[in-house]
Amino acid sequence: MTAAAIEARGLGKDFGSIRALDHLDLEVREGEFFGFLGPNGAGKTTTVHLLATLLRPTRGAARVAGYDVVRDDLQTRRSIGLVFQETTLDRDLTVEENLRFAARLWNLPGRVAAPRIAELLGQFGLLERRRDRVRALAGGMRRALDIARGMLHEPRVLFLDEPTAGLDPRARRSLWELLQRLRAASGLTVFLTTHYVEEAEPCDRVAVLDRGRLAALGTPAELKRAAGVQSLEDVFLARTGHPLAEPSAA
Amino acid sequence: MSRRAVCGIVARELIRFQRQRGRVLASLVRPFVWLIFAGAGFATVFTGAGEIDYRRYMAPGLLGMVVMFGSLLAALSTVTDRDAGVLRMVLVAPIRRSTIALGKTLGATLLGTTQAVMVGTILLSLVRLWPGPAGLLLAFVAIVLSSLALGALGLLLAATIRSIENFAGVMNFVVFPMLFLSGALYPVRRLGPALHAVVYLNPLAYGVDLLKHALLAGWTSAGYGGEMPVALDVAGLAAFAVAGLLAAARLLGREEGVTRAAFRERD
Repeated sequence: MTAAAIEARGLGKDFGSIRALDHLDLEVREGEFFGFLGPNGAGKTTTVHLLATLLRPTRGAARVAGYDVVRDDLQTRRSIGLVFQETTLDRDLTVEENLRFAARLWNLPGRVAAPRIAELLGQFGLLERRRDRVRALAGGMRRALDIARGMLHEPRVLFLDEPTAGLDPRARRSLWELLQRLRAASGLTVFLTTHYVEEAEPCDRVAVLDRGRLAALGTPAELKRAAGVQSLEDVFLARTGHPLAEPSAA
Repeated sequence: MSRRAVCGIVARELIRFQRQRGRVLASLVRPFVWLIFAGAGFATVFTGAGEIDYRRYMAPGLLGMVVMFGSLLAALSTVTDRDAGVLRMVLVAPIRRSTIALGKTLGATLLGTTQAVMVGTILLSLVRLWPGPAGLLLAFVAIVLSSLALGALGLLLAATIRSIENFAGVMNFVVFPMLFLSGALYPVRRLGPALHAVVYLNPLAYGVDLLKHALLAGWTSAGYGGEMPVALDVAGLAAFAVAGLLAAARLLGREEGVTRAAFRERD
C-alpha cells in the first residue's frame, strides 16, 4: 500500500491576530506532483514551513513521509528537501563547497557524498562551474544549485517554494525541464507552490489556496470541468470571486 | 549530536574567514595600532611606570581584545547568515538547534584562538615578555576559554538582534564597555565600587585577568598581575560559555521571523 506522502488535518497557523493559514485538510500521495496555487500572501509559504517543521502549528496536525511534523521533527527534516523562495546559498563559497557543506549538515559520509555531488553537478549542468563562487553564477544556475542541494540526501518529498520567482523566461523554462526530468527519473513526490497558472497546469493535482483557506482541490481538468471554465485562472476567479493576479499597474 | 554537522559548520567559518582578506588584516593589525597609539598615550599618565613598562602591561589586554574581536564578531556573523538566507538552510537540516549553536561557537573559538596566537607571538617579542613554558601554557588556556565564552556570547547576541543595523549598537554598547571594564588598559581594582561590580559581569574581564596571571606573574606583588583568583577566572569563563550556548540554542529554535516578516509585508 502507498502511504500518503503529506497529510494535513485541520492545520492552521496564526501570527498574532493574523490568520495566515486557517484550516487545511490535505493529502498528497506518494510520487505525486502536487501544485499549491494562490496569490502572494495566500499562506503557501506558511504551509510549506509548517510541513518542513520550521514553524509550529497553532492548531491541527500534519505528517510528512509518515512522520509527525511536531513530534518527529528531525525525521521529518531528514525525509524532505526544501527549496526556499529566496536562495539560501553561501555566496562566498564555491558551488562544490556549498554542496559539501550541506552534505555534512545532512550527515552524509564523504564516500557517499562525493559521488552523489558529482552526479548532481552533472545532472544540473553545473559540472564546469563547480569551482566558481556562487556570487559569480547567474540566477538560473543559483536556483539549479539550490534544487541540487535539496536533492542531495535523496529526500522522499521535495518542497519547491515558488522556485521560478525572479528568473527570466529562459531560465524558468530550462529549470522547468530539469524538474520534469528529475521527477521522471526518481518518482519523487514534489510539492510545488506557485502563483503562475502555467506552472500548476502540468501538476497531477492542484490545490487552490486563497487567504489561508483551501478554495478548490483536484486535477487541473477536474477543476476546470467543475467550474465550467477553460483555464485555471478562471477556476481561481470562479472559486474565490477575485482574480489570481492583480492587474499590473503598467 | 552530529559530529559531522559540527565539523561542517566549523569548516565553513574557516573557509569564509580566509577569503575575507580585509578581516584577517584588520584583526592582525588592530592590536598593534592600539599598542603604538594607545600605548604611547596611556604611558604618559600611567602611574606604575617605575614598576612596569606600560606597553608590557597592556600586552595581555591586547590579546584579550584580539580574542574579543575575533570570536565575538565571528559569532555575530550569524546575523549575516540570517540575512543571506544561509541560516534557514541550516535550520532545515536534520540537526538539533544545540548542534548549530555548538558548531557556530566552536568555529568562533577556533578563529579567536588562531588570531590571538598569531598576534601573541609577535606582540610578546615586541614588548619583550618571556613568561616561560608554564606561563605560555596558561596563556593558551586563557585564550581558548575566552574565545569560547565570547563566541557563545556573540552567538547569543546574534540570536537576539535581528538586523545588521543593530550591529553598530552592539559595538557601542557591548564591545567598548566590555573592553574598558576588562582591565585590558588599566587595573580594575581602582575603579569605584559600582563599576567594579560590573566587572564581574564581563566575560572579557575574566579572560584578561587569566592572561595577566599567565604573562605578568612577575608583577603580581607590584599590583599589575592578575587581580582575581585563577580559579574564579576559569569558572567565570566556563559559566559564560555554558550559559551563552544554552541560551543561544533555545533562541535559535524560535526562528519564526522569516514567515512572520512575509506576513507583515502583506498588510
